[in-house]
Amino acid sequence: MSILSVGFLLFAVGLIILYFALPKRFQWWVLLVFSLGFYALGGLRNLPFILLTSLSVWGAALYIRRNNEAQKAYLKEHKELSKEEKTAYKAERKRRRKLAMLLCLLLNLGILCAMKYVHFLLAQANALAGLFGGSVTDAVRWIVPLGISFYTFQSVGYLLDVYWGKCEAQPNYLKSLLFTSFFPQIIQGPISAYKELSGELFREHDLDYHNFSWGAQRMLWGFFKKMVVANILSPYVASVFANYSGYSGITTFIGALCYSAQIYADFSGYMDIMCGLCQILGIRLTENFERPYFSKSVAEYWRRWHMSLGVWFKNYVYYPMAMAKWNQRLGKTARQKLGRAFGDYLPATIALVATWLATGLWHGASWGYIAWGGLNGLFIIFSMWMEKPFAKWKKGLHIREDAWLWRAFQVIRTFLLVTLIKVLPEVGSLRDGLGLWKRIFTEHSLPHSLGELLPFLDSYRNLAAALFGIGLMFLVSLLQRKEPVRARMERKLPYPVRMAVFVLLFFLILYFGVPASGGLGDFMYAEF
Amino acid sequence: MEELLEILNDLNPDVDYETEERLIDGKVYDSFKIITLISMISDTFDIELGPEHLIPENFNSAKAMWEMIQRIQEGEE
Repeated sequence: MSILSVGFLLFAVGLIILYFALPKRFQWWVLLVFSLGFYALGGLRNLPFILLTSLSVWGAALYIRRNNEAQKAYLKEHKELSKEEKTAYKAERKRRRKLAMLLCLLLNLGILCAMKYVHFLLAQANALAGLFGGSVTDAVRWIVPLGISFYTFQSVGYLLDVYWGKCEAQPNYLKSLLFTSFFPQIIQGPISAYKELSGELFREHDLDYHNFSWGAQRMLWGFFKKMVVANILSPYVASVFANYSGYSGITTFIGALCYSAQIYADFSGYMDIMCGLCQILGIRLTENFERPYFSKSVAEYWRRWHMSLGVWFKNYVYYPMAMAKWNQRLGKTARQKLGRAFGDYLPATIALVATWLATGLWHGASWGYIAWGGLNGLFIIFSMWMEKPFAKWKKGLHIREDAWLWRAFQVIRTFLLVTLIKVLPEVGSLRDGLGLWKRIFTEHSLPHSLGELLPFLDSYRNLAAALFGIGLMFLVSLLQRKEPVRARMERKLPYPVRMAVFVLLFFLILYFGVPASGGLGDFMYAEF
Repeated sequence: MEELLEILNDLNPDVDYETEERLIDGKVYDSFKIITLISMISDTFDIELGPEHLIPENFNSAKAMWEMIQRIQEGEE
């Protein structure tokens, strides 16, 4: 079902009515039925995969919980045991919990890898075999189940949290299934932690005017970003990516900037629609964006863009790897032999390399995404190692950290950097991505007309609408520095004026908005 | 506790560890500093810290860290 369709609006209205009309104890049941219905509408063949994941994770988590409870009960009953006996008993129990966790992890990450990377791996194997005149096979045609990257990561995070004792396992399978399949986050995330989302899903909610009004306003803003900005820019970007070798450097650069605006409007627009819908229901969904294009470094950008994915990788890849015994030992040896600084940085650096290569692979099975992840990691690692020398240089050059000119320079530099990195895997192959970079930096001809500068332009009306939309998003981001724009409007504007603003936004969407052509509303992150 | 305070002061001398109770929640320590801190605590107190110990409640203050170290040394965790 496309999010940008009347069908989805009817689906949302039906959900809201049933959610508040039925007795409150049935609210999570309503969410479960609508979530499974939404998922089934995306293709029935997707269902077995999500059911297998939810069932295996629920079973493993429950086993870990029962194992923990049995351990506590046994130790309570057998207080006479010596410290060594207790330690040995605990180690044996932990070994079983670890085995259950690892088997479940292997199953679910195995499914994810098989579905997502089999074509990439076969292509590499074929290329390698081709060097010797042979081939492996190209007969495999698997379709990646909808949202598998998102629900697998969320489920794995839950399993690890239970294993580490950071949250309680859910004994009710249907509740666990709702956590895995909750429809607002199934297509593009956010990837929520069980501790946060479960409280919201299983708590009883009242219909609240403030939530309803703010939620509806946020949904409208999301539709505006998606339909007026992202969907208008989409063909422009596609044209530049397809024809970059024939366009001037400046046109190609404008295409890259358009891509940055498009993906932000698209992804954050989706988040606004879903967070808004959840707010109407009284559910607080994890936020994914915090004005990311105002970041002063690549590391900060990644703390503000697709935040839930960043937190996931930090908690479940970066920390475990940086804290692993072998990595800590390596750091200790490096400290002794190569100096304190080197030893301090080494475990974190190794963990960052693994984290960013994995982040690249999560986004897509291609060399372009591996390079994209590697480059992001490289900038973050470089700035970590250079933090102290940079601080010294800044002091020497009398640069004040809070000077607006320095901050503006940092923001623009970071925006340009992330824009260039972003386009790398999106043009086509890695070779195409590098070709587009080359075009930007080496083709310096100046266009003689607007038609030459923007050869992809379909109409001035659309261009004006997209530019207005980008300007509005920029203004909103500036205002959001201090408080939500809706709060500011409530404080400063009388009700009729506020109403007029949203009615105007609605008509702008109706007049300028471009509907999507594909399923699910053609949201860009649904591909991941 | 003295040894722990030494480690913390070495890592960031600008913090008053007697009163600060939001080292993690207040983002005084970033993810890199946390890893360095964990390395130093593990080395100094000869304990093994894993991801299960990595919750803000264990690292938000010097006192919380000290209590966690003692719990691990006594085999409670």
